[in-house]
Amino acid sequence: MDINLFIVQLFNALFFASILFLISSGLSLIYGIMKILNLAHGALYMVGAYITFTVVILWLGLSWYSMVIAYIASIAVVASLGIYIERILLKPLYNKPQDLQLLLTFALIFILDDIVKMIWGAQYRAFPTIPGWSLSVGEYQIPVYFIATILIALGVALLLHWFFTKTIYGKMIRAISYSLETSAILGINTDKLFALSFALGAGLAGLAGGVAVPLYTASPGMGGDAIVLSFAVIVIGGMGSILGAFVGSLIVGLSRVFMAIIYPVFEIALIYIIMAIILMFRPTGLFGREMRERR
Amino acid sequence: MMFKIDNELYSLITLFIFLAVIPQFLSIYNVRLLSVGLLYGLAAVGFNLLYGYTGLLSFGHAMFWSAGAYGLAIGLVKLNLDPLMSILLAFTLTFTVAIVTGYLSLRHTEIYFAMLTLAFAQLIYALIIKLRDITGGDEGIYGIPRFPSDIGGYYYLIYIIVFILVILAWWIVRTPLGLGFQAVRDNPYRAEALGLDVRRVRLISFVLSGFYLSIAGMLYAPLNRAITPDIAFWTFSAIIVIMTIIGGSKNVLGAFIGGLIFIYINTQAMNLTEFWQLTLGIILALLVYLAPYGIVGIFERVLRYVRGG
Repeated sequence: MDINLFIVQLFNALFFASILFLISSGLSLIYGIMKILNLAHGALYMVGAYITFTVVILWLGLSWYSMVIAYIASIAVVASLGIYIERILLKPLYNKPQDLQLLLTFALIFILDDIVKMIWGAQYRAFPTIPGWSLSVGEYQIPVYFIATILIALGVALLLHWFFTKTIYGKMIRAISYSLETSAILGINTDKLFALSFALGAGLAGLAGGVAVPLYTASPGMGGDAIVLSFAVIVIGGMGSILGAFVGSLIVGLSRVFMAIIYPVFEIALIYIIMAIILMFRPTGLFGREMRERR
Repeated sequence: MMFKIDNELYSLITLFIFLAVIPQFLSIYNVRLLSVGLLYGLAAVGFNLLYGYTGLLSFGHAMFWSAGAYGLAIGLVKLNLDPLMSILLAFTLTFTVAIVTGYLSLRHTEIYFAMLTLAFAQLIYALIIKLRDITGGDEGIYGIPRFPSDIGGYYYLIYIIVFILVILAWWIVRTPLGLGFQAVRDNPYRAEALGLDVRRVRLISFVLSGFYLSIAGMLYAPLNRAITPDIAFWTFSAIIVIMTIIGGSKNVLGAFIGGLIFIYINTQAMNLTEFWQLTLGIILALLVYLAPYGIVGIFERVLRYVRGG
């Protein structure tokens, strides 16, 4: 592989990893605090993709400022959707068996897929072009959009780090993920923070969809592939750990893109082989720790 | 019979008598549907040996269904083996997959076990997609021969096998082995202290459960005459979990009814509206709130009420 192709593929992999990080950090956050594996997280990502598509292509036209507005809209819509899901649907299930929460989030995939189909139709919705210009590397091109996306993901990672280490809400969320009972005794309003965490996680999925849609066409059911790769990411990195989601996304993104060049038969398989090996020797993942038991 | 005949067995036998007669009054289309229902029921019963009885939630049971279906189809269509050899090939494949994935995933329990089984199932899905020469890739395998070739006859072949295996499951959970499953589920530490080899019990349950799914898959491939990689994707694993929970994971009867009913809810929703997923999703969500112990749970509550309990 010549060096130019390598650079192009590296950016390709980092772009893919950035999208994965945005999805899986939310998934991991929700699992870390609520101990709910949100199967509908991919569906929320899909909704985010459609919102950005609508704002940019159908309403405002392609430009940098319309992209920014679209991202904000995606975050806002999906985060509020998240609040409704958490308050109305999940809250009554907190003291019920975990299976029921799993069943409910699976039902939500069906529901959201069809609502999207009702609003936007069943056909694929693609951006006509990738926003922005491209940089030339030898005979290849790297879209500036890739670089912007990587910067967005890095920015989100830093923001999350700041949120969890410096703000009182972030600290309270971390306290709950250590021990729900102790946090409640210490006077933390766990109920409110559950809603906040779910909204935050959902908002990240919305942003992920918005960022991904210019490259990956919006379609009903696009969440199915995304969610299962995010499972791999958070299991590799450690469930509940944002740093884990970051490193896990890099591992999955890089191994997939480069395996596709080296030996395509194992393009996807390699990800799950890595995941299985890590789980067998370090069940909590690279950066996970022993979690509190479910309540 | 060495076991007390209980209400569950009565209900199962009654259900099977009904299932023997009803195809005479149904159209070919509906007999085909009912055949799939029987296979889903069988799959749910097998899955529930691991889930309801041994307390392990696998999120990758689609791999066994597809090991059976692909094993048989590759034998019959790609390698031109005779049926017996193809079945043997499918069983060998299932056994290998079950032993290897079971040995590796059973180092853990709960969510980590679920994630490991998911990883192995997706690994197998990825291989099915990529090894085009053997599996047909995205397009799958077509033209799988069926014997007996008419749906009506094939229904009864499925019926007999499903009947035997479901009653067998009812029996197994009452043998010392089945009681061992439940001891491990209720308290693995106590089971260990009483001298049970917990990991071995779990592995036996895992492999046994895998064989149930594999047989269902093996019967499914000729019924459909074609298979596609969808049956190995994680959503199918989720559907296996869901139909078991819908019916009720407390016993064999519940799981079986869950499988039978799921295909009807699914098809009715598809026939009624273009937006069948929405309908199915709402029904699933309602079941979560209204029937948390499954459909069998509702029956039991009604029975208890009628008896004034």
